[in-house]
Parts: sequence; C-alpha cells; structure tokens
Amino acid sequence: MGVRRSRLELVFDVLLAIQNKGGKIKPTHLMYKSNLSHKLLNSYLEELLLKELVVVEEEIVKKKKRAAKVVKITEKGLAFLAEFRRMREFTDAFGL
Amino acid sequence: MFRLFFTPGWFNGYDLLFEGISLVVALLIAAYSWKVYRLNRENKFAYFSLAFLLVSVSLAVSIFASGVLYSFPVRETVAQVLSPVTGEGLRYADLYYRMAFFAEMASMLGAWLLIFLISQKPRDRLRKYFELSQIGLFVYLVLLISWVANFRHVVFYLTSAVLLSLIVLNYYKNYLNTNRNKNARSVMYGFFLIMVGNLFFVFVFLNNSLYVAGQLLVLGGFLQLLNTYRKVVRR
Repeated sequence: MGVRRSRLELVFDVLLAIQNKGGKIKPTHLMYKSNLSHKLLNSYLEELLLKELVVVEEEIVKKKKRAAKVVKITEKGLAFLAEFRRMREFTDAFGL
Repeated sequence: MFRLFFTPGWFNGYDLLFEGISLVVALLIAAYSWKVYRLNRENKFAYFSLAFLLVSVSLAVSIFASGVLYSFPVRETVAQVLSPVTGEGLRYADLYYRMAFFAEMASMLGAWLLIFLISQKPRDRLRKYFELSQIGLFVYLVLLISWVANFRHVVFYLTSAVLLSLIVLNYYKNYLNTNRNKNARSVMYGFFLIMVGNLFFVFVFLNNSLYVAGQLLVLGGFLQLLNTYRKVVRR
C-alpha cells in the first residue's frame, strides 16, 4: 500500500495529469489519471478554479459534433507545477 | 583583552568576510524553507528555516564581536580617553565578549541540533513526549556547553564537530534513500566540509594557521550548500 498523498501532492497530481495531456483534459479522464473519486475530484477542481490554476471550457468534439467540457491548465497552474517541482527537489536534497 | 584563542594577525578581517558570505547563504536557505512552509504548512520546513536563521544569528554575533576585537587601536584609544569618565566600568568589557561568545555558541549548537533532529526520518523517531524530553535535555546540554566553552573553546568546536558528523550520517542515509540524488550528495558534502572545518578549529592550540584552514573549509561547505540551493531554485 502506497503512502497517503498530502493535499498539495493531490493538487500537483491533478495539474500534472492535465499538463501530460497537452494542457487540456476531459473531466472523466482526469478522474482516472489523478486516481481520485468523482466527489473528491470535484472538490479539488472547485478549489483549483477558485485559485485560477485551471479553467473549465466547452469544446466541440469533432466525432460526436457536440460540446463537451474540458479542463485546461492556466499559466498560474503551470507556474505552480514548476514551483512544486523545485520544492520537492529542495525536500529531497535537504532530507526533509 | 579577553580572547578565546589567538588567530593569525594577517587573517583578521578575511574571516569576517568568509563569515559574512556564510551568513548570506544561511539566510537564503532559511528564506526558501520559510517560503515552502507557507505553501504547505508542514512544521519541519519552519523548523529548518529557524535552524538556518540561528546559524545566521550566530555568524552575525561572531562578525560583530570579532569586528570589535580586531579594531584594537581604535578601541584602546577610546577606552583610554574615556577612562576618567567611565572609571572602573571598562573592567566589565570582558563580560560583553563572554556574552557575545555565549550567544554565538548557543545559537550555532542549537542550529546543528535542530538540523540533526529534522534530518532524522520520522520512522526513526521515538514517541512524542519522550522526544520532547529528549529535546529539553539537548537544549540544557547546548546551553551548558556554550557556557563551559567560554573557558575552553575546544568544547564548542568538538561538540559542533560531533553534531555535524551525525548530520552528515543522516544526509548519507538521505542520499541513499533518494536513489543517489546528486543534490542530496552535494548537501552531504557541504555539511562534511563544515564538520572538517570545525575539527581543524579544535586543534588551533597546536598551530594557529589551522584556524585559516578551518575557516576556508567552513566557507567551502557553505558555498557547496549555496551551489545546491542555486541548482534547486533555478530549475
């Protein structure tokens, strides 16, 4: 069994999942990629939207020819990812 | 004039510069650790920040006290001019130096102790209350050693070297636990250089040029920590 993720690590995992998908992802995919339940993902997404780390937009899906929601990472979200990586490197280097 | 030990005259001033550089490095690490604490609210980052703040306090006190000691001609002239006014008061100047050295030693040893406790992984720690009593005992010993070291400076540097060797050991474990992370190795080398520098200070009574070697090693250690900090922060 893995170690329980902290709130900050969960936020990092959500944002990383979006970044790995080229900056935008469908909410269902995000749920699987970040390994979170629907309820928990929604609560985190609310927080991320509030802090302007992500935005939710509607996009036309070519195959189905209808609008679907996508979650996009913002510049602020990308900056958070970079800062979190630095923080993790600091933690590893100084044994914290 | 009260002095803990005599250093080579030609080196006076250079050591202040070295300590000044180390002070800046300690402040940078303390500031970044505090920034991380504000982001994730994990206490260990606040303690780590406090530890490096204590290192900078110790270095600042050392720079100030040594600076006053080195300005010998100016200080003596002022003392002579003022003696009719101040009278016997100047006899207590030694007390000022002892206080300064005590503050320098207590904060430096406190910082090493804090870094040692933080660098211990939680699984190796004991129960909370036992740990608190252990910290209490350590604080008492740090204060006692700082007082005793005012009469035998060797005690301070020896205790520093022992604490630093334990820190190096913890950082070696950390280096292995982080899949031989280069930055973790760099931090380990940094503390290793500071530890060897402190060992050199222990033997200053044999030859005072060892003080110069010790200062260079300690500066090397802090520059190594600065290099790691730079690599981490500029990623």
